[in-house]
Amino acid sequence: MYEATEEFFAALPARAPSVLRGPVRGTLQIALTTDHHTDYWLLRLAPHQAVVTRGRGPADAVLSSSAEFFERLVTGRAQGISAVLRNEATFSGNVLLFLAFRRFFPARPGARDPRELARDQLRRSG
Amino acid sequence: MTELVSILDGNTFVVSDRRGDIEPSYATPTGLFSFDTRFLSTWLLTLDGERLHALSIDDAQSYRTRYFLVPGEPVHYIDTKVSVIRHRAIGGSLTEELTLLNHSDREMRFSLRLAMGSDFADLFEVKQRGRKRGTVIPTVGENELRLTYRREAFHRATVITSSAPVEVDQGGMTWSITVGAHEEWSTRLHVSEMIYAAGGEDVRASTPLSGTRSPEAIRAEQQQLIGTAPKLGCDCEPLAGAYRQSLNDLGALRYESIALGVRLLAAGLPWFMTLFGRDSMLTSLQVLPFLPELVPPTITMLAGLQGFRLDDFRDEEPGKILHELRYGETAGFEEQPHSPYYGSADSTPLFVILLDEYERWTGDATLVRQLEFSARAALDWIDSYGDLLGTGYLWYQTRNPETGLANQCWKDSWDSISYADGRLPGFPRATCELQGYAYDAKLRGARMARLFWNDPAYADRLEREAAALKERFNRDFWLPDREHYALAFDPHCQPVDALSSNIGHLLWSGIVPEDRAESIARHLMSPRLFSGWGVRTLATDQGRYNPIGYHVGTVWPFDNAFIAWGLARYGFREEAGRICEGMLSASRHFGGRLPEAFAGYARDLTDYPVRYPTACSPQAWSAGTPLLLLRVMLGLEPQGEHLIIDPAVPEGMGRVELLDIPGRWGRVDALGRSRGPHDNTRDH
Repeated sequence: MYEATEEFFAALPARAPSVLRGPVRGTLQIALTTDHHTDYWLLRLAPHQAVVTRGRGPADAVLSSSAEFFERLVTGRAQGISAVLRNEATFSGNVLLFLAFRRFFPARPGARDPRELARDQLRRSG
Repeated sequence: MTELVSILDGNTFVVSDRRGDIEPSYATPTGLFSFDTRFLSTWLLTLDGERLHALSIDDAQSYRTRYFLVPGEPVHYIDTKVSVIRHRAIGGSLTEELTLLNHSDREMRFSLRLAMGSDFADLFEVKQRGRKRGTVIPTVGENELRLTYRREAFHRATVITSSAPVEVDQGGMTWSITVGAHEEWSTRLHVSEMIYAAGGEDVRASTPLSGTRSPEAIRAEQQQLIGTAPKLGCDCEPLAGAYRQSLNDLGALRYESIALGVRLLAAGLPWFMTLFGRDSMLTSLQVLPFLPELVPPTITMLAGLQGFRLDDFRDEEPGKILHELRYGETAGFEEQPHSPYYGSADSTPLFVILLDEYERWTGDATLVRQLEFSARAALDWIDSYGDLLGTGYLWYQTRNPETGLANQCWKDSWDSISYADGRLPGFPRATCELQGYAYDAKLRGARMARLFWNDPAYADRLEREAAALKERFNRDFWLPDREHYALAFDPHCQPVDALSSNIGHLLWSGIVPEDRAESIARHLMSPRLFSGWGVRTLATDQGRYNPIGYHVGTVWPFDNAFIAWGLARYGFREEAGRICEGMLSASRHFGGRLPEAFAGYARDLTDYPVRYPTACSPQAWSAGTPLLLLRVMLGLEPQGEHLIIDPAVPEGMGRVELLDIPGRWGRVDALGRSRGPHDNTRDH
């Protein structure tokens, strides 16, 4: 149902070497709720490495939201920190894990490269 | 304007009038604030229906105040039979001890009322008179009033309790009391600011450092912090006072970042009680020789929050270091971009500079190795996303014209960057000091690459790039007929030719060739820029000069500290000393606490530094200023495993002795003494 979410988790291990470059290490539990149930994912994060399993387990940090919101997060349409500030998502535990994890999220759809924008505007203004 | 009284602990603070009252206001940020939300906007005391008046206040501590009050207008004389003392302290939450004293020789009945209310305004709504989207619901309990604010899942509450029995209604509390002759009555009020997570628990309850501390705990913690700082012995009272005050204020401005669980430095009361990239890093550079333990949490959090994707709303790009992080409703609902906002072009090179400087002082190579990827990403940003026009310079232009910042340098007000004749350039803009920071960042990046990242080829490349940047900058930004650097480049790569304090930062960065340094020093110390207290942000003969213009004529203490550092770096110790003397003399007029900025009037015109109307105080980088000035006067510079001490104390300042300077050398002492015709009397 939430295809982007499924694809996102499936791709994490292959993407980890280029994304997880800082001093990150620990287990992140992700809990995604729909009307009827909660899907759990468990992520073991380390430099250059992410191991993804379904289910619950001991974790250093927990991120919870609706499955619908998480779908927006992994497609770049929503942003994690503002969502935590307005309680649309909740986070507890080691914050550095969350900060490292959000590096897997893509750019906002339609976001512009500032260089192209500046050069386009300059050309137009003559 | 009514004089306001503030107390603070971290990013929780109260601003009230001199009676201790808070009245709803949008013009000034009065109230009880925490994490960018106003939790009390009404807090108004009446005795038998009458407002009270202040006899005096005791505000010697940053975290508590006492208000001594009497009824009636103190027009002619005070002959009152009753007085009230409000003893207020802040330590995450607010406590207020209300004491009523009956001075008469008979029993008396009183009705004491405290009107209470909260609009739960976000700090940005206080600034801009926004309308609340959510609703406030008051709930009356036994000796308790609870004000709850909800907007969707966003949930805040103010919970007020009284230790003495009280009649509570939705708008406040009323005590009907009988006090015997020459007796007193008191109650203790407690105000908790609740920040609820989605599950309904208070967010701060789960953070490692508790949000609420007693005044005694705050005092102990501040004392502990001050205890670790080097001891200053000196003949110059303004210096001693400013040093003491600075350490107190730096202690008070530390706050626990919500959910981040580390102590960070808030930038300044009242508008900037949050994490700013630029402010926290420049303050870190100032305090490194004194309180190095304040630095790693800042660097680590900034690295953790480093930009990683393109986001126009937040001006975010991969590798960019944040400008501002807020915790309030407008950030949460994306009405403001501060979650975090990345609109600053200098924070990214400053990040590399700070990391390197930190290692040079402390020898903490572990952090430099851990943050290799972050530092490389920052260095990459400088030459990629930072170089908007592909000219080899660092530029800025917001992609969020509605709520982003137009000027993304430290002078971030709308009119700060102008030509000499006052015209404003278009965008993008490339201010000169950004190029200096980029140059310095490359050289420092090269040092770290060689010593800690085992990448000499990268180090060589960075050094070649730095040399090319220096050459290019000195060719393009130099104005030969005026013998100073342009303030900026406009979008057509033409110089924005105003004479400004920015050129002082170029000395600090080292991008100025030796043979041009003297003319920069001469400009900085000329009456056009130097007011006698310090260097103005903009020279007096420039089109937009205004001695009380925020970035166009005022004197900023932190700016001067970095300029003094730059002058000293090029050997202009006497000139640096004049800035030190001017700043420390000015601090005397502010009770040892240098404000964010003060007016640019000439010293011999006013004899005292004129307060800038809405200056923030305390402000972290102003509190850091006396510390950096001390470093400059004593000529402290780490070299390998040693600390070089090369004092040049300004004339008349006498003995300056700094004991137990921490660093990779353990702890060492530095001693300086001024030598001049006016110093003989001080020798004893």
